[in-house]
Amino acid sequence: MTATALGQAPGPHETTRSFCDRELRWLALAVAAFVAFVALLPFLRLVLEAITRGGSLDLSGALRALSHPHVWQASLNTLEIGLASSVIALTLGATFAITLAIADVPAKRVLVLVFIWSLMIAPQVAALAFKTLLGPASPLLGAIGLAPPAGTPNPVVGKLGIIAVLGLHHAPLAAITLAPALARIPASVIDAARVDGAGPASVVLRIIVPLAAPALVAASLIVLLAGIGNFGIPALLGIPAGVLTLPTLIYRQLSSFGPSVIADTATLSLMTGSLAIVVALAATAAIGRVRTHVSSDATMQPFLELGRARGPIAVALWLLIAVSAIIPFLSLVATSLVPAYGMRLGFATLTFEAYQEVLARQKLTYRALRNSGLLAGAAAVLLAFAAVFVAYVIERRPRRWMPLLETTLELPYVLPGVVLAIACILLFLKPLPLIGISIYATPAIILFAYLARFLPVALKPVRATLANLARDCEEAAAVDGARLWQRLVRVVGPSVLPSVLAGGLLVFLLAFNELTVSALLWSAGTETLGVALLSLEDAGLATEAAALAVVTALIVAGLLIILDRLSRVLPRGTLPWDTLGR
Amino acid sequence: MGAMRVKQARRLTAGLLALATVLWNAAGQAADGKLVLYTSQPNRDAQQTIDAFKTKAPNVDVSFVRDGTTRLIAKLRAELAAGQSPADVLLIADSVTLEGLKKEGLLAPYAAADVARYPAGLHDPERTWFATKLITTGIVYHAKAPVKPQSWLDLLKPEARGQTVMPSPLVSGAALIHAATLTGNLPGGWAYYEGLKANGAVAAAGNGDVLKQVAGGEKLYGMIVDFMPIREKAKGAPVEFVFPVEGVSAIGEPVAILKSSRNPAAAAAFVDFLLSTAGQQLALAQGYIPADPAVALPPGFPPRGSIKIMPFDAARALAEEAANKKRFSDIFGQ
Repeated sequence: MTATALGQAPGPHETTRSFCDRELRWLALAVAAFVAFVALLPFLRLVLEAITRGGSLDLSGALRALSHPHVWQASLNTLEIGLASSVIALTLGATFAITLAIADVPAKRVLVLVFIWSLMIAPQVAALAFKTLLGPASPLLGAIGLAPPAGTPNPVVGKLGIIAVLGLHHAPLAAITLAPALARIPASVIDAARVDGAGPASVVLRIIVPLAAPALVAASLIVLLAGIGNFGIPALLGIPAGVLTLPTLIYRQLSSFGPSVIADTATLSLMTGSLAIVVALAATAAIGRVRTHVSSDATMQPFLELGRARGPIAVALWLLIAVSAIIPFLSLVATSLVPAYGMRLGFATLTFEAYQEVLARQKLTYRALRNSGLLAGAAAVLLAFAAVFVAYVIERRPRRWMPLLETTLELPYVLPGVVLAIACILLFLKPLPLIGISIYATPAIILFAYLARFLPVALKPVRATLANLARDCEEAAAVDGARLWQRLVRVVGPSVLPSVLAGGLLVFLLAFNELTVSALLWSAGTETLGVALLSLEDAGLATEAAALAVVTALIVAGLLIILDRLSRVLPRGTLPWDTLGR
Repeated sequence: MGAMRVKQARRLTAGLLALATVLWNAAGQAADGKLVLYTSQPNRDAQQTIDAFKTKAPNVDVSFVRDGTTRLIAKLRAELAAGQSPADVLLIADSVTLEGLKKEGLLAPYAAADVARYPAGLHDPERTWFATKLITTGIVYHAKAPVKPQSWLDLLKPEARGQTVMPSPLVSGAALIHAATLTGNLPGGWAYYEGLKANGAVAAAGNGDVLKQVAGGEKLYGMIVDFMPIREKAKGAPVEFVFPVEGVSAIGEPVAILKSSRNPAAAAAFVDFLLSTAGQQLALAQGYIPADPAVALPPGFPPRGSIKIMPFDAARALAEEAANKKRFSDIFGQ
């Protein structure tokens, strides 16, 4: 039937006609249709809304919306904050990843988990934690007598605060982007350098950094995009100071002025999205220019024996973790225990009233927990299921339009969440054509947005496994007459099941805390955890907001521990932080 | 044949969606009667109001959506533009917003409401909305503030430079009415707000945010609704509230039934509860000035007759609503 079935096995990148059967062609069409519907259609609708007014092509409205002084200020803020925070994040994250890769730091696993935890707790939780830490009302600072006097502004609120918190929050993102590249560096090069007498600094600067250059560029791109599109941190730290970024400007416009301004917000979203695309293209071009190929038989092991420097290095790393995760979390806990905001926390005055209010009395938080759990769970299950098909098509049927498919499905994840939210509103505000019902104020619209946004997350682990899976078994089954679904279920399925699970869990983790998209799409009864937190914070209920944030952070910690246990049985590299400090 | 298939498909999908919605809402649904309240009351107060209502009407399952008035109405309008909204009854900050909704025919009149105890002019003569409380906006300051402000103009003084925070009309209905009142009464109109901006004042989101910033010591002075700081001071927060000498602005936190409500009977029962003695006693217990003049004021308030409320042109406020929001946003970039 096929040339490959008779002779040598095809290499992973060789175009093969082996599975060119009708079923796979139909599956490929179905996958393309799914990706087009979920990832492309919303943005096409967005572009349409921005360039037409009243049914005909009209750019004047768009130009008018863009020429408002607020828009230029917000754009400048967005760029400034994105660039500055990405520098911080890249520096911290790269230092962390490289130190863990070259030195025998003690307790690496715990260090990595806590570092990742500081990323996985949602941005709004991180922002709230820092906000409660440094103001005049900080219970932690007040307890040690270092609280600033009344009348001093909170240093975390404002542009510098946003940059600092964003930088700390995204440092783990840079680290986990860099880690796989560091793990692939061959030991032979390092050994040769060290035999030649190179010290650790030389090795890092002249060998490791150049070899990892594409990953460094990729990491800087990712943190820059994340910084541009972030909503939770500028919402909590910027809006109170009047510092608006494009995502928060769009949010404020839509939530205060209603659907009458949807066309203007569509224009703004398009601009934000274009900014992100320009950045992405620039970085992709930069990566493409680098031509380093590494073959890794034996890969780099930590070679730096710290000896006496062990203590200080470990302390420095733990200090980083403490500043970005542990101390803010403690501040959150302390804030949730004061009787009324602004009062001092003491052992006599501490109360669990806020937790009672949030967990038992307020129906909102119960609803939010339920909604987030159900929506994240549904998205995880559906995407895990879909990821198998999409990954199979991409890996087993390479065609020239595959890169286009891959780029399209990455769009909703790469572009800022507000852009996707506005696009979904435009698409689903009016009743659907055949069914006659609008899904706008229902959970369905949030689920759609989650499916679009997190598909790449569910896809990556499955693709990685499939790419390395030998095709012999599938070919044997095909020769034996197995249909496509039989091959998928009996042959491919068991091999990819662990990575499917991992992908699903990752989607659950991200969707559970999600705020950016649900902040614009929520309605009565469909509030998510992020929305509930924002609502409590907006209403000035500081202790209740802190209590909810603590509960959320603890749930994330639990999920991370489960994922960590699961990673013992998963192939290495399935989880994003596997290669960090192995 | 094709047309029938389409029809069947349509019915099937509608049925599945309806089933999904029913199952979605099944968790937490009591006996009959679902009531959805859209309110701008702080979450805790809204939950207490609903819990008290449920002791009178245990068969009604009430859920609420809470946001600042301006944002809440924007959301309501978006849902109505999509075809329908789950909201049954509104309990929001100000009546000007409700007048706007009434003009668009979105409110249902409730003729049988018992308003005998209330003075004329407090509620809508056409019985589409009913004031439930009296909430004024004054000045709050931190206990450690060097200067105790007595007048709105004190916020323009150098001692208050960079230390003033106020709620934004883009979020809060009370702030919208307050801006309309101050610009209509203080000399210079909007020049007062421009002066505040020049003196380093910032606009926060809602009143709760103002309370948090002043109680937390990040700002020393703020414009805020009366019940918040008076209530928190009793709990031990380091704040003081003052009714400035020129007077205060006032809102009535009115309740209204939407014409598109799916449970008008339960909505009417909710309105009855809020206007009843029990409902007014609840408002007193929560720290608000009740609308019913026969009910006492909470501790910490001056006598009802001594509160000086600035004159307010409701019709003008309604006509200039969008312009006022934009003007504020242009001044404060917020």
